[in-house]
Amino acid sequence: MKSYAIFLGCTIPARQPNYEISARKTLEKLGVELVDLDDLTCCCPPPIQSINLESSQAIAAYNICLAEEAGLDIVALCNGCFESLAMANAALKQDKELKAHINEVLAKVGKEFKGTIEVKHFLQVLMEDIGLEKIKENVVKPLSSLKVAPFYGCHSLRPSKLLQFDDPERPQIFENLLEALGAEALEYRNKLKCCGGLLKGISDDTALSLAREKLVNTTKAGADCISTLCPFCFVALDIGQLQVKTKFNEVYDLPILHYSELIALALGVDPEELALRSHKVKTDKVIEKIA
Amino acid sequence: MPHHTKKDANMSFSAEVTSRHGGETLTACYQCGTCASSCPVARLDARFNPREIIKLSLLGEKEEVVSGDAIWLCTSCFNCQERCPQNVEIADLIYALRNIAIEAGHSPNIYSDFASALIAEGRIVQISKFVEKKREEYGLPPLKPVGIDALNKILSATGFTKPEKTEASQ
Amino acid sequence: MEQPKVGVFLSDCGKQLSEILDFDALTSFVKTVPNVALIARGSEFWRGKGLQTIVDAVKSGKINRVVVAESLTKISDVNIAQAVENAGLNSYLVELIDIKDHCAWPHRATPKEATEKAKAMLLSAIERAKLLEPIEKLEFPALKSALIIGGGIAGMQTAVDLADLGFEVNLIEKTPFLGGLSARVGRFFPTDDCAICIQPPSSDVKTITHTSRKCVYRSGFSEIPNLNILTNANVVAVEGVPGNYKVTIEKKPRYVIADKCVACDKCVSVCPVETSDEYNANLENRKAIYINVPLVHPQVYVIDEDACKFHDCAKCVEVCPTNAIDLDQKTEQVTLNVGSIVVATGFREFDSSAIKEYHYDDYPDVITNLELARMIDGFGPTGGAIIRPSDGKPAKKIVFVQCVGSRDRRYNPYCSSICCMISLKNASLLKEANPDAEISICYIDIRTTGREHEYYYERARDMGIKFVKGRPTEIYNDVEKGKLIVDVEDALLKRFLDLEADLVVLATSMVPAEGTAELAEILGLDLEADGFFKEYNAKLRPTETKQKGIFLCGGATFPKDAPTASLHAHSAAMKATKFLTSGKIVKDQRTAVINEDYCGDCEFCPVTCPYGAISLEPTDEKHFVARVNDLLCEGCGVCVGTCPLNAIELRHSRPSQMAAQMNALMSVNGTSKPLVLAFCCQECGHTAVDSSGMAKMEYPANVRIIKVPCAGIVRVNQVLEAFKAGAQAVMIVGCKADGCHYEVGSQKTEKRMDLAQVLLKEYGIEPERLEMFNMVYIEGAQFAEAAKMMTKRATTLGKLKLLGDS
Repeated sequence: MKSYAIFLGCTIPARQPNYEISARKTLEKLGVELVDLDDLTCCCPPPIQSINLESSQAIAAYNICLAEEAGLDIVALCNGCFESLAMANAALKQDKELKAHINEVLAKVGKEFKGTIEVKHFLQVLMEDIGLEKIKENVVKPLSSLKVAPFYGCHSLRPSKLLQFDDPERPQIFENLLEALGAEALEYRNKLKCCGGLLKGISDDTALSLAREKLVNTTKAGADCISTLCPFCFVALDIGQLQVKTKFNEVYDLPILHYSELIALALGVDPEELALRSHKVKTDKVIEKIA
Repeated sequence: MPHHTKKDANMSFSAEVTSRHGGETLTACYQCGTCASSCPVARLDARFNPREIIKLSLLGEKEEVVSGDAIWLCTSCFNCQERCPQNVEIADLIYALRNIAIEAGHSPNIYSDFASALIAEGRIVQISKFVEKKREEYGLPPLKPVGIDALNKILSATGFTKPEKTEASQ
Repeated sequence: MEQPKVGVFLSDCGKQLSEILDFDALTSFVKTVPNVALIARGSEFWRGKGLQTIVDAVKSGKINRVVVAESLTKISDVNIAQAVENAGLNSYLVELIDIKDHCAWPHRATPKEATEKAKAMLLSAIERAKLLEPIEKLEFPALKSALIIGGGIAGMQTAVDLADLGFEVNLIEKTPFLGGLSARVGRFFPTDDCAICIQPPSSDVKTITHTSRKCVYRSGFSEIPNLNILTNANVVAVEGVPGNYKVTIEKKPRYVIADKCVACDKCVSVCPVETSDEYNANLENRKAIYINVPLVHPQVYVIDEDACKFHDCAKCVEVCPTNAIDLDQKTEQVTLNVGSIVVATGFREFDSSAIKEYHYDDYPDVITNLELARMIDGFGPTGGAIIRPSDGKPAKKIVFVQCVGSRDRRYNPYCSSICCMISLKNASLLKEANPDAEISICYIDIRTTGREHEYYYERARDMGIKFVKGRPTEIYNDVEKGKLIVDVEDALLKRFLDLEADLVVLATSMVPAEGTAELAEILGLDLEADGFFKEYNAKLRPTETKQKGIFLCGGATFPKDAPTASLHAHSAAMKATKFLTSGKIVKDQRTAVINEDYCGDCEFCPVTCPYGAISLEPTDEKHFVARVNDLLCEGCGVCVGTCPLNAIELRHSRPSQMAAQMNALMSVNGTSKPLVLAFCCQECGHTAVDSSGMAKMEYPANVRIIKVPCAGIVRVNQVLEAFKAGAQAVMIVGCKADGCHYEVGSQKTEKRMDLAQVLLKEYGIEPERLEMFNMVYIEGAQFAEAAKMMTKRATTLGKLKLLGDS
């Protein structure tokens, strides 16, 4: 049974228990052990990188050191955490000078980055450690009548050279994993475009326009729901729908579900256990389609 | 964009940017504009155009770049960096410019909140006691302690400047 | 060999030098040196009466070695060498030193010290002269024949030139037809007329007027008597040496007998197999048996063996009126013996499938300029109609995208040089044929650098073609609108455009032809970082390689337009002819020689030699010995410097000769300053010393120069010997690292001197007493500075203490 150090980040434990619950239950069912390490901190995503990029790289490296010491690879749920940690991991492994520089900083807290572990996204663990076949075998409630618009978000895919998650222009991993659950994965205009999530609080107008564009395009493609990988995308599209209603007077009624929630449901987890009430756009019609 | 009168350009600004984390690739840019058309924000907000920001930086217009609104409007989607034919690390460059701006005392107020939370609790978003207790209900394991001391040591070793709140901010 | 009798000829340059140097003292000094048989003084010795003095001395038998202290030795040595040779003495028994530019001029502020240095220089020259040996002239046969690899316009032009000059020419082309890119593009800029024309061969008996050019098919090209054309053929192996190459060629079966085919097309009409026509941009199908149109050569059909059903069908065989089809033809091996080889393999379009956001791989209406050319071509698959490949409808809105894969650090960082002109040409042709068409060109920069090229750009603007300064981020297929959308920012307007297009034409990067890397391996040629064949020298020798008998022309070295390719082809022909004309290659045996007893079969030297002149030959089952090929050896001495066992010597720069010079230069001090010995390479380092003197720069006379062929010859033990001989500092002055005239010598010695510094430290000698400098002829000022700097450094470090010193 493969073990991973789970990296929860901040937003998920603070605001999206639905993501954490569904992810833990899924990995438990599929035979992956999750270890909660002590002393992890914020991964230092873009808002902190904007204040000081060097501090952020060093803190990301610090978190990686904790996993190195435990001899475990990291699995991240949030795109932002995945990017922050995977980018730091790859950059330090490739650039000797940068590694030496960051290790000088880490020495002050008694740590040394060695480059011995991998940082993986939740989907990568499902794909690589478990595999599509095993997932298919374990599906008890196929999502066969569900049309899902997969939304990768930005930070699972880009910058692709460092993240090595999937082909940045023609990714397939999310679609494959949805199809393994029996769902239909839809193509839609500007599938890989940013939802504007990180602009909330800076330029709400632009953020909302971008979220709206996604709602329009996925609806046009016939989606029953949008599936996300990132808590920021989730908020942008979930709460965002209510804001779109207020500003543009448009109703989309498009539930937003993390992939972890969809796979948990397909694997037979009772919807009641998944904290679905935290979704602002009700997920009832999706649950009905699955039952 | 309003017409600018002639100013003294700070020609060493380009060198300042390339010496910072994230800013190393600034001078590779040949203004092809792929980043601008890749950008989800540029189309919607005339204040933000990544090609323009780079051009201004290359020309040494430090004041305009660090005190202006533009650099805060990037959504860090990395589409520009992905598609740039010169491998300019545009999104990282914006981080570098923001770092310079914050050191100079310019930033949107929200960054101050993030920084405060980070320094106080090691997290960018506070997790209330209420939320922590609810974990038991959900069958989630309790949260492990945060490495707040190590985090703060690292912040100070890397010269982390906490942005102050200003009136004239986003 | 008889005792050396050295004649020393001192020139005072019209008494200029005797104002600085004490010539009486010099003469007295020289008199004391053993084996000096004659001393002469005069105004100049490199021409006129002075030269006659030398000639008379040689003829009289009084001297058998010549030392001349003259100025500008590099010019005077040619005259003197020739005269001495004519007088009956081997010209390599002559040693020249430049006491003007290397002594009097730079040290004029310290005439006494200058005179002492002049003594040292003379002693060094005399001691070296005593150890010189005659160097023989070698002759190697050169076959009066050439092989040209690649049947595009460049290859064909070179073939015509060489054949016109009377050589046996073999032109080999890997596809079934000649013509290359020129056959497919239709028209070439800047004339916008046919691409497949060449200069007519002079063997065209029907030409009574001097016509500037002819279509290949009617030029008589294929009928040139001494031209042998092989199509559907590939070079698989090359052995031998310049002047005498043995080339093995694999000729794939055409399945159609050239002598019998009458090109009636009956076979095509009955062939049941259809396959996609790659030649015509896959815009239509062709049969398994086919011929390309427009025709270049040969006018013989060919069977695509991957598509044909052979004996399961054989309908074409039945119907052929002349029994020209032979389905049982096999691959043949052909061997050719040629004197020189010309590589004319050209370039091709980059496969832009890699740039996924442009969808070249999955949108049929996204095409390349070459594919568009097939559409524009009246002979082409659409009869000249510009259509959308997806549905065959006419294309009214066309958008060109420049720099696809070019100027792109992810793929090809270079600018491909011709794509702006190609797009302007195609866009103008399109607009002329369809004035209603809406044509836009998205560009980063428009590069129209050649003569008449700016006019192309003007004309395009006049015709109403739109220009958008911006590189598109992606091309999107709007199924509803039925159009492609090109997503681009016009940077000049700072406006985002969604350009609608029926057809998007990608001006892709140009990359080396398929098989370039393999061919380079077979021929022993280097490639540049961009994958194209490496020119011997980009400034002066663009059609040559470091392999004496192998030449380059056309797009094989870098994308170029037709006029440039044409010039290139003529240049290659001329270069390839130089040694073929006389039927022999003559060179001096100033080459490396290996002492086989010392050779430790370590294999360093064959790997190091930039000219592939050293091979390993087995002496028995287990051992090898290295042997030098005198034809290929360029006499640089890099192998000498590399050999860990001192097993190699370079004739005319033997260690014994260099040691004698070194000791002599250090033996006469006459200055209060520490002696500095500078090993200067004859190509760049020594010329920098020349120019510093010629420009009358000043540096101190304690700096003594020893000339070497290449910095690569300098061994670590020679540096140590220099210190033992009395040098307080040692300089190595060589070519720039990326510009060594012998390819690798400068860089190798740089590394070797790093090692030398480690050893010096072990010996208790300050490593900074040794330094390597890289400079070119025009950097004389740098030499003077370096000389002063090393003198100062040695002075500051103080006198060197060696073991055994009291």
